[in-house]
Amino acid sequence: MWVYEKKLQYPINIKNPNAALAKIIISQYGGPDGELGASLRYLSQRYTMPYPELKAILTDIGTEELAHLEMVGTIVYQLTKNLTPEQIKEAGMDAYFVDHTAGIYPSSAAGTPYTAASMQSKGDVLTDLHENLAAEQKARTTYDNILRFCDDPDVIDPIRFLRAREVVHYQRFGEGLRIATDNLDSKNFYAFNASFDKCCKNNKN
Amino acid sequence: MTDRDILMRKIATYDFAIVELNLYLDTHPKDLDAHRKLEDYESKSLELREFYEEKYGPIVFRNSPDNRMKWIKNPWPWDLCEGD
Repeated sequence: MWVYEKKLQYPINIKNPNAALAKIIISQYGGPDGELGASLRYLSQRYTMPYPELKAILTDIGTEELAHLEMVGTIVYQLTKNLTPEQIKEAGMDAYFVDHTAGIYPSSAAGTPYTAASMQSKGDVLTDLHENLAAEQKARTTYDNILRFCDDPDVIDPIRFLRAREVVHYQRFGEGLRIATDNLDSKNFYAFNASFDKCCKNNKN
Repeated sequence: MTDRDILMRKIATYDFAIVELNLYLDTHPKDLDAHRKLEDYESKSLELREFYEEKYGPIVFRNSPDNRMKWIKNPWPWDLCEGD
C-alpha cells in the first residue's frame, strides 16, 4: 500500500507559462517512455521476481516513479496556467485543448493516449531487468530531447533532476541484474527462467 | 521565496538523500556506512518535518479536526508559490 506525502520530490515553481513546452513535456507523463509507464512497469513486474533484493528495488523505484509522475504533471499544469485560447492556438496546443482543456491527460507529445503496449512485464527475471535498463535509457534520451527545447531555468532545473534519476535507476537495475546472474548457473544463465521454473530457485531465496 | 518554501526545500533536500540511500541499500544491504548516513538524514528530516507540520499543516495525514482543515487547505504540491 501507499501513503501520500503532501510535497513534491523536487521543488517546481514555473513563473512563465509556455504551452509549446507543455505540449512536448506531456510525453513524460503519458508517453511511451514516460513516468506512468515506468511506474506501472516496475510495480507490475515485481510480483514474479525470484530474489528479494529485486522485489525491493522494483517496489522502491516504482514508487519513486509515481513521485516523478506528479512532478511532470506539476510542470505541465504550471506551464499551461492562465493562458488564453489564442496563446494556446499560437503554441500549437489547440488539438490537445479541444479534448482536455488545460486538464492533465496522459498522452504522448504526438497525442497518442497512454498505452500499456509501450511497456512489458514478461515474467522472466533477465528479460524484465533488460527491459528496465532500456526503459531508463529511453527516458533519459527523452529528457535530453526535452532539454533541447527548454530555455526557461524554472523548467530546465526540475527536468535535469528527472534526467539524473534515470541514470541512477539504470545503475540500480544493473546491480539488480548482477544479483540475478549471481544466483544463476554461470555456465548458462538461460537454462531456466528463475521467475517461473521452480527447479532453479536456489537457497538464497 | 517564502519561509515556507525555504523550509520545504530543506526537507526535500534531506528526503532526496533518504530516497537515494534507500535505493542504494536495496542492492548494497551490508554497507554500514550508508546505513549510518541514512539514519542521520532521517533524523534531520524528521526534525524539520515536525517543525513544518506544526507551523503549516500535515505532510503525511494524521486525523484530528484541526489537522483535517490544514490537510485540505491550499497550497497543494502542484500549486504555484503565490498561493492562488
